[in-house]
Amino acid sequence: MSEIKASAPSKGRVDVRNFALSYPTLDGPVEAVCDTSIHVNPGEFVSIVGPSGCGKSTLLNAVAGFLKPTEGDVTVDDEVVDGPGADRGMVFQQYSLFPWKTVKGNVEFGLKMKHVDKSSRDRAARTLLGLAGLTAFENKYPDSLSGGMKQRVGIVRALATGPKVLLLDEPFGALDAQTRVIMQQILTNMWQRLKISVLFVTHDIDEAIFLSDRVYCMTARPGTIKAEISIPLERPRQQSMMMSSEFLGLRRGLMSLIREESIKAMGGELNDLALDGLSIDLHGQSLADVL
Amino acid sequence: MNVEGAALRREQDASAESDLAVQLSPMHAVEPSTSSPPQLLPYVKRWLLLNRGGLRAVFAGAISLMLFLLAWHLLTKYRVVFFVRFTNVPSPAAVYESLSRAMHDSRFFMHVMLSCRRILFGFSLAAFTAVPLGLVMGRFKLAHEILFPVTEVLRPIPAIAWVPMAIMLWPTNEQSIVFITFLGSFFPILVNTLHGMSLVDPVLVRASQCLGAREMSIFREVYFPASLPHIFTGLTVGMGVAWVSLIAAEMISGQYGIGYFTWEAYSLVQYPDIALGMICIGVLGLGSSALIRGLGRVVMPWNRT
Repeated sequence: MSEIKASAPSKGRVDVRNFALSYPTLDGPVEAVCDTSIHVNPGEFVSIVGPSGCGKSTLLNAVAGFLKPTEGDVTVDDEVVDGPGADRGMVFQQYSLFPWKTVKGNVEFGLKMKHVDKSSRDRAARTLLGLAGLTAFENKYPDSLSGGMKQRVGIVRALATGPKVLLLDEPFGALDAQTRVIMQQILTNMWQRLKISVLFVTHDIDEAIFLSDRVYCMTARPGTIKAEISIPLERPRQQSMMMSSEFLGLRRGLMSLIREESIKAMGGELNDLALDGLSIDLHGQSLADVL
Repeated sequence: MNVEGAALRREQDASAESDLAVQLSPMHAVEPSTSSPPQLLPYVKRWLLLNRGGLRAVFAGAISLMLFLLAWHLLTKYRVVFFVRFTNVPSPAAVYESLSRAMHDSRFFMHVMLSCRRILFGFSLAAFTAVPLGLVMGRFKLAHEILFPVTEVLRPIPAIAWVPMAIMLWPTNEQSIVFITFLGSFFPILVNTLHGMSLVDPVLVRASQCLGAREMSIFREVYFPASLPHIFTGLTVGMGVAWVSLIAAEMISGQYGIGYFTWEAYSLVQYPDIALGMICIGVLGLGSSALIRGLGRVVMPWNRT
């Protein structure tokens, strides 16, 4: 542990400054994200949480280079992001492994694009697969793997090119609760060993607190940063910490921030009622009477 | 770490031989391991149990073919006339006789080989033009916008309708027949390749871009393999249409070939040869489809179900 702290990473700083993104429509431009500034320090684990449709994935896709900002800019180590590239590894919710490549073939893909020779590729892929506990499956095709294994391959594949930043878009959203917890631990493990910057998008508050050094909370559309919360929990983190009063306190704070925004995101009427109105007084009538 | 792996393996084992293993394990325990025949027996039993679905299909297929032969035999033997007339239809025995005669006849083989050669040229030409064209049209919108209207106008024209035009276009008979075969298989291959390209998951393209892939690599490593299953559907359909077009062209304008052989048999009143020609076309069509399917399995090892 002390070794890792001694050599603090110097690369992988992400800056998003005064970011805004709008889509053109017939009724004029619609703002998805407006006036947003975030940053990730080298080697830091940062999460973005927010209600669905708040533009957190939009923000991540802009860092990945798939979307261009309407205003503001995105830089990685002071270089302006202009299109996708191997310096920013990305992990998708739908795994998005190449079904026609074996597990090892998937992991080697990025290195093949870099024209790394076959034996080096092979060595790198095996090392990383070993780290993720997937050595036994290196010659399997993705379709024969479980969701958790697929996503481990997805993470390893994104790491294989040695990116400065790892971007994850709700990577564990499709997994069951038990697998998700194990995956979170695997991810923290790999992150601590590889000292890489991470930008993690999720709607799961527990996940965000458990994994991150810092959490950004976004508002409903158009998305902006509502709050920035430091997570002072010590590392390495254990699952038992999720029951600690410190964790629960952070959870409560973040929960109330998100809840407000989620209700807004669900639309006008629900917003007016503010959920209290859901206990509409039916004056003792049954459902049949109402209908 | 490997909990999931172990669970998966256990699940596979369980689904494969759960009840069998339970039934057969006591038998294993009792059998002495010294003599070989008693060991073989449970193995054979298990094999039979595991493959009973496939065995039934083979059995049912054999029965159905035999019933077909029997019906054919009876209908021709009693020269049944009931709306359809079986008066001049050759019996299976007559066709078999004509087959054994044809086996010693080099002319028959020449007909078959010529048809096969025409299919090989026409179909290969179609595959090597339609697949790249489909890939390019699927990738570049402008190419699609320019070429698609032309293909849509030409596509509904049956290959047989091209016969007179083909005779005018090409200097030799052989070339025009290959052209007809080419046309027949071209459009199914093109349409299926286009369809495959339209279904390529954009997330896979983005994933490859994040891993540093550029345009040519994306094309080679993502678009092409992702469309391969549909390309092979196109090739299978195209092969079927190629035979349809070839036989029609040979009947109309040919001098050789299995289609010409069949038509000539009618003109020369050699009725058993008509059926022989038909069966031969059927077997060749079946064989070439199987060839394409086998090739598909070799090229797409991930697609095995």
